[in-house]
Amino acid sequence: MSKHITAFTIIFIAFQYLRARKKQSLLATLGVTLGVTTFIVMINFMTGVNDFLDDAVFNGSPDMIISAKQNKSSSKQLFKTQINSLTKIDKIDTFLTKQENIQSFAHQIISPAILVSENNQLPGSINGVFPSSEKNMVDLERRLIEGEGFDSLLEKDNAILLGISLARKLQVSTGDHLKMILPNGKNKRLQVAGIFSFGITTIDNVRTYFPARTLQNLLGQHDAITHVHLKLKNRDDVGLKTEASNPMNAVIIEDWKDANKTIVIGNKVRDILTWSVSFALLLVAGFGIYNILNSTVVQKRKDIAVLKTIGYAANDIIFIFLVQSVSIGLLGALFGAGLGYVISYVISTTPLDTTDFIIVDTYPINFKLGYYILGVVFGVATTILSGYFPSKKASSVDPVTVIRGI
Amino acid sequence: MMLETKQINKYFYEPEKHQVLKNISLQITSGELTAVYGESGSGKSTLLYILSTLDRDFEGRLQILNHEIKELSAAELTNFRNQHIGFVYQFHYLLSEFNVLQNIMLPAMKLGAKTKEEIKHDAILLLKELGMQDVAKRASYKLSGGQQQRVAIARALINNPSLIVADEPTGNLDQKNSDMIFDLLKEVTSKREKAVVIATHNPKIYQNSDKAIEMIDGSIRL
Repeated sequence: MSKHITAFTIIFIAFQYLRARKKQSLLATLGVTLGVTTFIVMINFMTGVNDFLDDAVFNGSPDMIISAKQNKSSSKQLFKTQINSLTKIDKIDTFLTKQENIQSFAHQIISPAILVSENNQLPGSINGVFPSSEKNMVDLERRLIEGEGFDSLLEKDNAILLGISLARKLQVSTGDHLKMILPNGKNKRLQVAGIFSFGITTIDNVRTYFPARTLQNLLGQHDAITHVHLKLKNRDDVGLKTEASNPMNAVIIEDWKDANKTIVIGNKVRDILTWSVSFALLLVAGFGIYNILNSTVVQKRKDIAVLKTIGYAANDIIFIFLVQSVSIGLLGALFGAGLGYVISYVISTTPLDTTDFIIVDTYPINFKLGYYILGVVFGVATTILSGYFPSKKASSVDPVTVIRGI
Repeated sequence: MMLETKQINKYFYEPEKHQVLKNISLQITSGELTAVYGESGSGKSTLLYILSTLDRDFEGRLQILNHEIKELSAAELTNFRNQHIGFVYQFHYLLSEFNVLQNIMLPAMKLGAKTKEEIKHDAILLLKELGMQDVAKRASYKLSGGQQQRVAIARALINNPSLIVADEPTGNLDQKNSDMIFDLLKEVTSKREKAVVIATHNPKIYQNSDKAIEMIDGSIRL
């Protein structure tokens, strides 16, 4: 009971002091609110953007690509019509099947080609795919704008799927015909079976899907494979890259970090921005609290001295002032979390003009409970930290000095 | 023996080393009002801070209720003071954020030996004895000087301590209020069997106390 009644008294004293400085206490609370709100809105938005980009890019492109090295001897040929293919594809398959971290993999044959429509001709490349295995790599159904997905490639040997930007440049839509001219001079009439969008121009500008068998036949390189695309279970674990370079000599292995350097850097920059801005705001809020408590300590030196003489210990005094700063912090942080949620919600319902972005129509926002908890913890931690030094100062007030009137 | 000092010496080191108290040995018993008087700078306040255990930076021994004060830990000392010593200062030093009743209750709330209701009951009883039950709910800064000093005495008494230490308790009051406070302290001494020590300039007080100790230049005049 004794501890209980003491704690009650100390909290009572702390709140009396807060009440005596309503305006300042409110301002300090608002400071914390602002810091926590900013933190939550920024982290929700920034991680929302990060996740959106990750989703768009990493679902559209493989985590790792194995391709053939340039063959030096063949480059001496005057007109090179043969494309470099992976020589020991069976060995590669055996190796990949044994790997634990691989979720799925698919073969591709990629060849340079010129696409000719009624209105335009564009040089580019053709991705020859095996629809049944490619399905495990790319969730194309979600990204289709018109037409059909991989299934159409199984039905017709001259069906092609085009990225939206590429289709626009060629001025074609589903059902239209195209002519494809390959490096060996062969050409074929194709029909557009579907148009898709990953929301990333660099993909939508160049990506095509075409039956690999047809392409192999046209090139006269039966069973030739130029690329193996891998999807990893844990994308951050790219240890496979070094592991694979020994058994699969004479191949190039590229992981998603190599291929998407700008996005990886972008994610990092957004993270740094979020943390530094939030930290700066909380720092300012912390200084506010420090200031208030410090001036309270100076003005209340006599009270503190009296409390000490009538039996309140140094720790009780620290507690009195820490209760004040923690109350400000907790209240501010909870308000901040609430306000952060409201603002995030408003942003998440704001329409985003994304002509090609079929996967978003509003700003991407992440609503994770963890961020709110983190925000509140940060807010309270800041106030504890900034309240500690004034509290310590208060606890070291010497009653004799004060009573003597020095 | 309620309180006993043996050979207390005390030095100030600022601005230069200077002996404030010289070989102070004295005894204080319960039911006795002791006045310490002397000129400013004679060391009477310094002695009072030592007797009230606020200042432990001295040479010599101080025993209160058979406790060797210098041997107590900081936490033990805080508890000891809370339980056994009441303070009255020249200025009332009431906490302005609290009303009269809350101010009186503060030391007992820290001691925590009773429930809040019991403490409140005690505090109201004390106010009644002082004839001040009407101002119980009033903010402490809205009282007159004499009233404030009486509230301070009530606060000093709430934990029923054995020793009351008062530093110039009438120094800031007019004659009428000064007499009233002194009478009150005398009553506390005799009726409640307390040991009361007052540091004062006021001849009326030291001439009418049970025991008067004159301080000259840091020594007790025998």
